[in-house]
Amino acid sequence: MQKLQGIAVSPGVAIGEALVMDNEGFRIPRRFVARDTVVDEVERLDKSIAAAATEIAHHREAVSSELGEKYGAIFEAHLQMLQDARLRSELDEMIRQRHYSAEYAVSRILRRYAQVFQRLESSYLAERANDIFDIEKRLLRHLLGRRREGIAHLTSPVLVLAHNLTPSETANLDRRFVRGFVTEIGGPGSHTAIVAEALEIPAVVGTGPFLTEVSGGELVIIDGDKGLVILQPDEATLASYRREAEELRILATRLEPLRTLPAETRDGVHIQLFGNIEFPYEVDHCVNRGADGVGLYRTEFLYLGDETEPTEEVHFQAYSRVVQAMGDKPVVIRTFDLGADKMPNAPKPEDDRNPCLGLRSIRLALRNLPVFRTQLRAILRATTQGNVQVMFPLVSTLLELRQAKMVLADVMEDLQEHGIAFNRDVPVGMMVETPAAVMMVNRFVEEVDFLSIGTNDLVQYTLAVDRSNKDVVGLYNPVDPAVLKLIAMSLAAADRKDLPISMCGQMSGSPIYTMLLLGMGLRRFSVTPSAIPEVKNICRNATIAECQAVAARAMTMENARDVKNYLKEELKKHIQETTE
Amino acid sequence: MKPTTISSDRDTAMSETLATRTVVVTDPAGVHARTAVAIAEVVRASKSSVILVMGDLRVVATDVLQIMTMVADQGKTIVLEAAGPNADAVLDLLEPLFAGKFGNGEQKSV
Repeated sequence: MQKLQGIAVSPGVAIGEALVMDNEGFRIPRRFVARDTVVDEVERLDKSIAAAATEIAHHREAVSSELGEKYGAIFEAHLQMLQDARLRSELDEMIRQRHYSAEYAVSRILRRYAQVFQRLESSYLAERANDIFDIEKRLLRHLLGRRREGIAHLTSPVLVLAHNLTPSETANLDRRFVRGFVTEIGGPGSHTAIVAEALEIPAVVGTGPFLTEVSGGELVIIDGDKGLVILQPDEATLASYRREAEELRILATRLEPLRTLPAETRDGVHIQLFGNIEFPYEVDHCVNRGADGVGLYRTEFLYLGDETEPTEEVHFQAYSRVVQAMGDKPVVIRTFDLGADKMPNAPKPEDDRNPCLGLRSIRLALRNLPVFRTQLRAILRATTQGNVQVMFPLVSTLLELRQAKMVLADVMEDLQEHGIAFNRDVPVGMMVETPAAVMMVNRFVEEVDFLSIGTNDLVQYTLAVDRSNKDVVGLYNPVDPAVLKLIAMSLAAADRKDLPISMCGQMSGSPIYTMLLLGMGLRRFSVTPSAIPEVKNICRNATIAECQAVAARAMTMENARDVKNYLKEELKKHIQETTE
Repeated sequence: MKPTTISSDRDTAMSETLATRTVVVTDPAGVHARTAVAIAEVVRASKSSVILVMGDLRVVATDVLQIMTMVADQGKTIVLEAAGPNADAVLDLLEPLFAGKFGNGEQKSV
């Protein structure tokens, strides 16, 4: 049994068969071959080495004549590395003695060589690891041949284990059969995290390298609550996780009847629960959970699939689908919240040493007006089909907000000139996710129709912590007193103006924070759809007075750990009381 | 071509000589891919076999991957052990490579 700690990005427990993908996104097959096929396996290995050698020799000739001897020499080195006698005997031994498949032997051994370089301090030498990965890939291509397949064609349930998943890989996967994800790299904002949450399946990212330790078909447990991945679990662990999975199922069934009940506290205060979605089909999750609307419709997915920028029609179709499904309930469409690197056709930023503090989100939109306008046109057109609201992300200055609103007004004029229908009174709001926005929130409330607190970024910018950085992730805490103060300021400012304010970060979907937030005055929660029943359950079992007491006490505490421990205790006490 | 052996008369019967030489890597880039390839080619073209010894590592001089993964940086000391009819001559050809001097090797690698 082997346990890996990563970052938990999508909750739940999955137990199942591993599907291991290589770093090009293809499946690495089983680790072992039968005893009597060992000779065939060695023959396959030799054939693949010969084929790869021929290929490299061709390359060398072509490159030499095109670019000169010096460049051809790189492939000469590859060729000779490939034909290294010791390497050949090591591979041979793996297959003959340990009955490894040729693919697995190649992967395992070449990665071991690559590690020699990767461990070195000098980046010049570390680069050499890429030469070895290149050889590995080449051999795998020949070994797997036509059997190389992606995750598009699945026939049974699997847990996908990969170095990283690209948007196109996740877009192509067969959703019916994927039960969980683990990736070696990536953080909470990674594409894998977003897709897993959308599919409502557990996921753990940023585990560090482990793929060479696991083989396709092995039993794996993904604990998306604790961020654990367990390879080759022992009987006791397996039994305990099976029990937990069963309990989760029972809890879900127990919460099922809540669907049609209002989210109302015991003392009769109505709470609104919205869903956060990324992909249009997730609107069904919202409807099924009885959401009061879509509080955050992220639109980044429209830009990530292809190399080309989405057309107005593509935007419009995606918005229509959601708006129509929600009927007269609100759908808050957030304009694109992308980094410059993710935007097709946009000039690459010259200085991208610190992307979180760089050209992204609303800043990028205001610099790429044609792209921004296309999206706004589509959003405005969708306003005739239901209750659409538009929201700008990462606003940090009043000027930015005014500029964005001016572009919107301009697009409205344009639509009017062309006689295209839209709702001129579409509510316009902004995300509160920078400390600057909070500090100026009294001014912002004068110029918007609603606010939404984005805790993920607010925590990151307030505490100066990158969630995907393992060394500092411990400092990332939504209940840090500094963050709580900013949340309280935002709620107070909105309250004074009687302006709707919601919270759409991950914080609002974690049951542990529900009482605190209710006590602080939050009445609109926008959460990942799967979290709606649990949050509703807590609302229905608490009174505002109880929550206010919890919040008052939490706000006096000096550090995040105390707050979190206190909230955990309160939640436990509360759940015990209400289930008795 | 050089009259180079430490051999005595007895060796001529087997036409086999042994030679060792200690070299220090002076090439600022260390023993990189091109050096490794050049070493392997010199040895393959000769009728001798050569082992590179660095600390506990013993590597066959025609195994390019092994030479590279020795990670012989500038300043490292390597002992060359050659065995064959022209052992000393081979070492003469190998020695400049550790200083980053690719004389004939460059011509040959076409």
